Amino acid sequence: MMKMLTICQAEMRKSHRHNFNNRLIYFSMFLWPIIQFINAYYAFKPFNLGQNSPLSRFVPVNKLGLFLITGCIAYIFFWSLVQSAWMMGYERQQGTLELILLTPASRTLIMFSRAAANLIEAVWMFSIFAILTIFFMGGLHIAHWWLLPFAVMVLLLSAVVWGGFLNTIFLFSRDAGFLYTLFEAPMEFFSGVRMPIMAFPIWAKVIAFVFPLTFVLTILRAIVMDGKTLGSICIPLIELAIILIALTAASFILVRYAEKHAKETGNLTFF
Amino acid sequence: MLEAKHLHKSYTLKEKNGWLSRRKQQIKAVNDLSLTIEKGEIIGLLGVNGAGKTTTIKMLSTLLAPTSGTISIDGINAVKQPELIKRRVNMIAGGERMLYWRLSARENLMYFGRLYGLNGNTLKQRCRALIDKVGLTEFADRPVERYSKGMKQRLQIARGLINDPDYLFLDEPTLGLDAPVARQLRVLVKSLAKEKNKGILLTSHYLEEVEELCDHVSIIEKGHLLLQGTPRRIIQTIVKDRSLIVVMKTLDKENWHWLKQETDKLGIHAQKKETNEGTRVDMKATFDMTSSFLALAQKRNLQLIRFDAKKPNLEDAIIRLTEVHD
Repeated sequence: MMKMLTICQAEMRKSHRHNFNNRLIYFSMFLWPIIQFINAYYAFKPFNLGQNSPLSRFVPVNKLGLFLITGCIAYIFFWSLVQSAWMMGYERQQGTLELILLTPASRTLIMFSRAAANLIEAVWMFSIFAILTIFFMGGLHIAHWWLLPFAVMVLLLSAVVWGGFLNTIFLFSRDAGFLYTLFEAPMEFFSGVRMPIMAFPIWAKVIAFVFPLTFVLTILRAIVMDGKTLGSICIPLIELAIILIALTAASFILVRYAEKHAKETGNLTFF
Repeated sequence: MLEAKHLHKSYTLKEKNGWLSRRKQQIKAVNDLSLTIEKGEIIGLLGVNGAGKTTTIKMLSTLLAPTSGTISIDGINAVKQPELIKRRVNMIAGGERMLYWRLSARENLMYFGRLYGLNGNTLKQRCRALIDKVGLTEFADRPVERYSKGMKQRLQIARGLINDPDYLFLDEPTLGLDAPVARQLRVLVKSLAKEKNKGILLTSHYLEEVEELCDHVSIIEKGHLLLQGTPRRIIQTIVKDRSLIVVMKTLDKENWHWLKQETDKLGIHAQKKETNEGTRVDMKATFDMTSSFLALAQKRNLQLIRFDAKKPNLEDAIIRLTEVHD
């Protein structure tokens, strides 16, 4: 645990100075999600949002704002880590990735610490905005107060596991940039950030369950919008836990394989 | 002691051969290389570009796995237990990469120090001491992007010492540095070996640097070891000829015939050439002919205006060696 904290601290300091050095970055990280939220909210406005509308079968119309802001905040958590994983390319080019692998620090710990450090830096500003918006908007329906921090913990943990997994993939290949395209629009659409996945056709639902964000959103919305108790969300929680365990295990295996591959091919110097 | 025995490293190169198929080709980067490094010793690894120097350094530092062969460091198998070796070794490369440019020197060192498990006051003190050691105290909190090439290289040295390694691998550490900065780095490298008892492997294209610093030198070509020994021994083995150039204002026929006869007797090959400066005599022999020639010159009272005795150096040896093997 101490080691993880030390590495996390190291990554956080580095990430803060290196990726978030210019204050305008925070501004863009704050402004861009807000624009996304406003865009999503007003995209629904021209349509019939009455009690008989098709949307109302899946989302209570009076809670549309809450539905979208929860979608936005969870998406930002996951998306920021796709961006941070993409930055692994810089480490490869600069040669610092080789130096990181020269140290005895646990590679898996580095991958997850890197995700945790970047996550906190990337989302804290929008998170404050989102929390304030949720309270001002009203419509929160929570069974027990402690379920709210529990939901935040689920979101944080899932995002870190997701980020660690992505970092591992970018460690493995210099051509992993395609994931950036793969996870941008599809993750936003299929995970139910703007549209409830229950409104999707079967094939789209199948794709939706590929993304852990789908399960996180189901749990988050069940807690803050539907007032569900822990017992009633245990199935999506178990499903999410299985996915997170699978991603963690895959990360462990891939990190080992990536380093072994790099040692054999010397591909860390290719960029 | 670091001991590498019969190291081989091959890469598979895939070349496109049509739309879908790829042709595979095996490239041997290192071929049966063995070397040892004792603590407190500086070993030079020399060779032309592509000879396998960097691949060797990366194998020794556990960044690359040898295709076959063994590496043991203080009795620990580097291939099987790389995590133990990583605490005992570090690598420093020349050039401006391998640093976080937006971070300061202190922040770079703190980051890498934490990855080596250092923490709190120990880490802070180690960083401060290293910054002082490489002479960056005044600039410790300035972003690296504002550093000169020499300052970045000095920071690289400090970064390579952050885990207080027993063995240090320097891959062209003075590449592109101007003479005074390169000199400072050489002094530092020498003190690391002689005062701090670190075993150092050095690759460099500056052969004078290698001659000055290294206790032993290994010369490799196409990944294969050509020769190993002290710089002096290598020069003596490879370059037999010594040269002496003298220029005299005048050298008449009689004196030249006499000189030619005398030098022939001593086993010195002499040639005369008229230049703008005067009469130039180029002499070659397998021994130091300085005193013999001066005695001859004194006998006939020859007036010398230039006297240039050239000792063969490592550069001559490398050139001769690669000529022989081409």
